[in-house]
Amino acid sequence: MPDFHEEEVLGKAYDARLMRRLLKYTVPYWKWLLLCVVLLFIITGTDLVQPYLTKIAIDDHINALGAPMLVFEPGDEPVPGIVFGDRVFVRKEWLPKGFSPGTGPRAPLPAHIEHVDGRYVLVMELEGSVTRRELSSEDVRKFREHDVAAVVKLALLLLCAMTLGFVLNYVQVYILQYTGQKIISNMRLEIFRHLQALSLSFFDRNPVGRLVTRVTNDTDALNEMYTAVLVNLFKDVFLLVGIVIVMLKMNFELALVSFATIPVIAVVTVIFRVKARDAYRMVRTRLAKINATLAENISGMRVIHIFNREEKKAREFDEINKDYLKATMRELEVYAVFRPATDLISSLALALLVWYGGGRVLAGRVEFGVLYAFINYIQQFFRPINDLTEKYNIMQSAMASSERIFQLLDTKARETDVPEPARIGRPRGKIEFQNVWFAYNGEDWVLKDVSFTVEPGETCAFVGATGAGKTSIISLIGRMYEISRGRILLDGVDIRDIARHELRSHIGVVQQDVFLFTGDIASNIRLNNRDITDEKVLEAAKYVNADRFITELAGGYHAEVKERGVTLSSGQRQLLAFARALAFDPAILVLDEATANIDTETEALIQDALAKLVRGRTTLIVAHRLSTIQSADKIIVIHKGRVREVGTHQELLAKRGIYYQLYLLQYKEELRRAHTGEEAR
Amino acid sequence: MGSLLRKFWVLRDFFTRYKRRYIVGVLFLVAVDALQLLVPRILGRMTDLFRSGRLNDTGLVRYVGYIIGIALLVAIGRYFWRMYIMGTARLLDYTLRNKFFSHLEALSTSFFNDHKTGDLMAHATNDISAVRHAFAQGVALSVDAAFLTIATVTIMASTIDLRLVTLGLIPLPFVALTVSRFSRLIHARFLKVQEAFASLTDRTQENLSGIRVVKAFVQEEAEVARFAAANQRVVSANMHLVKIWGLFWPLVQFIAGLSFVIVLGYGGRLVILEDMSLGDFVAYSGYLGMAIWPMMAVGWVVNMLQRGMASMDRLNVIFETEPEVVDAPDVAEVTELKGSLEFRNLTFSYPGKAEPVLKNVDLKIPAGRVLGILGRTGSGKTTLVNLLLRLYNPGPGEILVDGIDINKIPLAVLRRHIGYVPQDNFLFSTTVSGNIGFASDSFTPEEIEQAAGWAGVAGDIREFPQGFDTVVGERGVTLSGGQKQRVAIARALIKNPRILILDDCFSAVDTETEEKILGSLRHIMRERTTILISHRISTIREADDIVVLDEGRIVERGDHDSLVAASGIYADIYERQLLEQELAANGET
Repeated sequence: MPDFHEEEVLGKAYDARLMRRLLKYTVPYWKWLLLCVVLLFIITGTDLVQPYLTKIAIDDHINALGAPMLVFEPGDEPVPGIVFGDRVFVRKEWLPKGFSPGTGPRAPLPAHIEHVDGRYVLVMELEGSVTRRELSSEDVRKFREHDVAAVVKLALLLLCAMTLGFVLNYVQVYILQYTGQKIISNMRLEIFRHLQALSLSFFDRNPVGRLVTRVTNDTDALNEMYTAVLVNLFKDVFLLVGIVIVMLKMNFELALVSFATIPVIAVVTVIFRVKARDAYRMVRTRLAKINATLAENISGMRVIHIFNREEKKAREFDEINKDYLKATMRELEVYAVFRPATDLISSLALALLVWYGGGRVLAGRVEFGVLYAFINYIQQFFRPINDLTEKYNIMQSAMASSERIFQLLDTKARETDVPEPARIGRPRGKIEFQNVWFAYNGEDWVLKDVSFTVEPGETCAFVGATGAGKTSIISLIGRMYEISRGRILLDGVDIRDIARHELRSHIGVVQQDVFLFTGDIASNIRLNNRDITDEKVLEAAKYVNADRFITELAGGYHAEVKERGVTLSSGQRQLLAFARALAFDPAILVLDEATANIDTETEALIQDALAKLVRGRTTLIVAHRLSTIQSADKIIVIHKGRVREVGTHQELLAKRGIYYQLYLLQYKEELRRAHTGEEAR
Repeated sequence: MGSLLRKFWVLRDFFTRYKRRYIVGVLFLVAVDALQLLVPRILGRMTDLFRSGRLNDTGLVRYVGYIIGIALLVAIGRYFWRMYIMGTARLLDYTLRNKFFSHLEALSTSFFNDHKTGDLMAHATNDISAVRHAFAQGVALSVDAAFLTIATVTIMASTIDLRLVTLGLIPLPFVALTVSRFSRLIHARFLKVQEAFASLTDRTQENLSGIRVVKAFVQEEAEVARFAAANQRVVSANMHLVKIWGLFWPLVQFIAGLSFVIVLGYGGRLVILEDMSLGDFVAYSGYLGMAIWPMMAVGWVVNMLQRGMASMDRLNVIFETEPEVVDAPDVAEVTELKGSLEFRNLTFSYPGKAEPVLKNVDLKIPAGRVLGILGRTGSGKTTLVNLLLRLYNPGPGEILVDGIDINKIPLAVLRRHIGYVPQDNFLFSTTVSGNIGFASDSFTPEEIEQAAGWAGVAGDIREFPQGFDTVVGERGVTLSGGQKQRVAIARALIKNPRILILDDCFSAVDTETEEKILGSLRHIMRERTTILISHRISTIREADDIVVLDEGRIVERGDHDSLVAASGIYADIYERQLLEQELAANGET
């Protein structure tokens, strides 16, 4: 059950220190990111093209019938024109720059078309006098053919721009996502690698669920930041700047009028951002409260039923639910006010533009197409501004996530080795504890001044009541934890001078709760070690009597291990763990015997396997079974963190000390049951 | 329609009550859409007036006035439709969650053994919000899309050159098609991403849970490699998604843009050739812009509604689950119980399990007596209590309270008369006094303190900075195990029950404290039927009668002395516990 109270705190949306560190992760990909920015630049251009092309279509072609023309004698025209009657008509704007009509009899004469009462009249100044000639619709069409062709050409140009935009957009999104995924997967790998190097005491302090969140969900929040915010910010900026430039170029005055509402929208957006954030936070905390309450009440439903408190709890839940409702209503209201408000402001901007620009058009100082393009641009202009709030939310959770991630990455609890560790080769297996003191935290001693020696090849059993410190002793041998005082020697070498990996590779561990990984049986025996062949796996399993039950499973060695092996009995899991330890062929075997009930048959198999397993290896066993203890070469009795008695079974019984009491307590029943033929406990 | 009605049967009251809000919201939405439809028309009219030179400054101001007026009305309308439609959906969310919780409460305790808390939580969060989305955005988008599509097409077709309208609209159905097709594809691939992500999470979870094995077998590097592979699969799944997800928007934009290409090329030609006015050209581009949005919405709406329906189906599975333990129709009319208990040849197995957990249990406890039950884990002790609390239904006539079949006693009456201290001493995250006074709202602070005193926890509580107002952390984490147990005892005692059941509730306190509490409870126990369950002899040795349960059967019965003398299981455990005490005393320095 996730902790619903945790990780709900959202802080700043921008933190320079965190941001700098986050940006470092992008460095290996700067070329790709730069490419994205360049692509975005071009894409922005294609986005801006449509209103501009429309403007050209309107001003230069649709509204161009009345444009001034020059009339040439056929053959004299410098550029192709409209052939009408026995003359060629060329619009002035088609003429190359600097064209001078010249003078003389063949000099071109001005002409234009007027629109009067729904009729079109061609007005020409021929030889000093003005000729007016009414045009039939057929004639008008002739004059228009060129415009039609041009408009179609513009449409095709727009199509090209759109196609280009479409392709580049896709390429850009793909590259950007790819880069984001790469960055995030690198980061995940870094976190995971870091976790692998941390010491066990770190894992004792930090719940697994929280660490998993760091690796998965927190990195995901960053992915959104890299892909949705970082690069797209460029797009927004390009678009805004692009629109501003185009507008200013098209018409300076009109552009300034268009920007008049920007301060208003900025203020409104800032207010909205604050209100929306507050509302969002309230919704989040209250939702967390609902979830926590729900989870608690579901877990405690038995108590609710037994105490007849269904109604009271329903009332309480209703209260919390109502609080949540209020918060969501509040959030809804914030959006219901501000979304229409920003739209209203953009409409006002439009109205302002129409009013002022319309006036200019009426006064003949602005072309109509320009106004039309402005109306389009101003609508495009407001879009990135509206998106800002969403980006703000993403940034906020990204900052919170990165803070947590970096905190984890900065944890100093890494396992370290001495600079030049001793090379030991395969050890003979002599283990000495010399005045070892150990505590999991502070001065809470679990082991006090523990000293003992285990000779190579010896089997040593540790006995004692629960919590006496037996398990701690065996986890210290592999340097899973660091001791506080004293020394632990392996073949006379202080284990702190041996590289952990080397040390551990010589120690085979069988834990009480056998941990099985997802995968099949074989992979649980060899773990990830490719050197252990299928033959070796089979051999190991056979040797420890695990082969029989394995072959009985559907799929045998390739039978899938489901849900950490719940389908296997604890005895079977124990045998698997034996096989695993044997496959690695360690010089030293460390074994925490299972306390769980194991059926008699499997128990016999385990005892037999154990006897084979300890042969030729120094073995340390936290023993729970009488038979195990009896067959040990040496028994060490741990009581309240101290070594209290050492000897063989018979010697210790004769002492009538702690071992004797333990024996009566823990093994008498086992004996009795064995005698009466009952299942061993 | 009938099936739809059945599907939302749970919400029938809600819809009767709030349908008017929905209607009002929809009206506002339609009004907003209608107003918005005027804008392109106005711009078009202005364009034509401009062109023919018939627009003067006053005309201009009037049109600008129209635009502002409409914008204001639209803004107001938008506020209201959001508040009405989205707000009502929020109310629905609230109602549904309340109903869900109440229904959970009505279900039998056994239901919660078969359903994981996490799954039920998922229903309460994901499914309810999916239903809400269907009724919020789902409704709004449907109305919006339907109205805008019909309206824009009608207006365009009736006012603007039909050839252009037809040509310009051609790409739009493809927008809808693309959106709906892509949404489905994207959803499918998104599920793949989630799968890959979940397996990465599992991988991490497993590695960290098994970190001891990983370290012991020096598997760190290999584990990093495996993680990297899972990590790479997440990247690949994401890129697989991006391949179409990245195409989605650009493609939709492109297809929609085709309409504008047609408007520009063909519409421009029509205007030039005087077959259409420039104003119509302007209005048409405006309408086209408005028509694209519903096309996209259609694609989403379908998915959103589908998801909402699927979630409602999942919720209905829970809503349609009937509680197993309910008052029988022929329930006896008892309101008070004295507390004599009788088990008659009680054999019980949990639903769906073949093996009985209790076998032929015969036991009589006269009102006011103290029964001790000793047994190992799994011997059937807790099942016995579960049946007595009627968390499960025992067979008819197998358990009698005051001589009445327990199945005939009103559930509320039965449970009111039982004070129960559970093994796991579950506490709620409220104040200490809230926990002690859990059974009723009418306890006075004095009563609460008194109960705490009996349970031997009053002293501890007074030492907390906030005393009885100390808030117990989530599931009682700020209290020690022993304190929690004693609070749970107080919670049962304050009810002044006729039957008191203490289910292994001294496990977290030392024997000394236990003795003290038992001592103060003695006079309380004297007045009522008490069942003491324990695996510790010290708890039950003073009981009037003691039974030893083993594998569901009563294997020994008697009082302490006779059982010790019988040298059976009881005597054996007694001996061991003596030894344990001796051992614990050993080495105390």
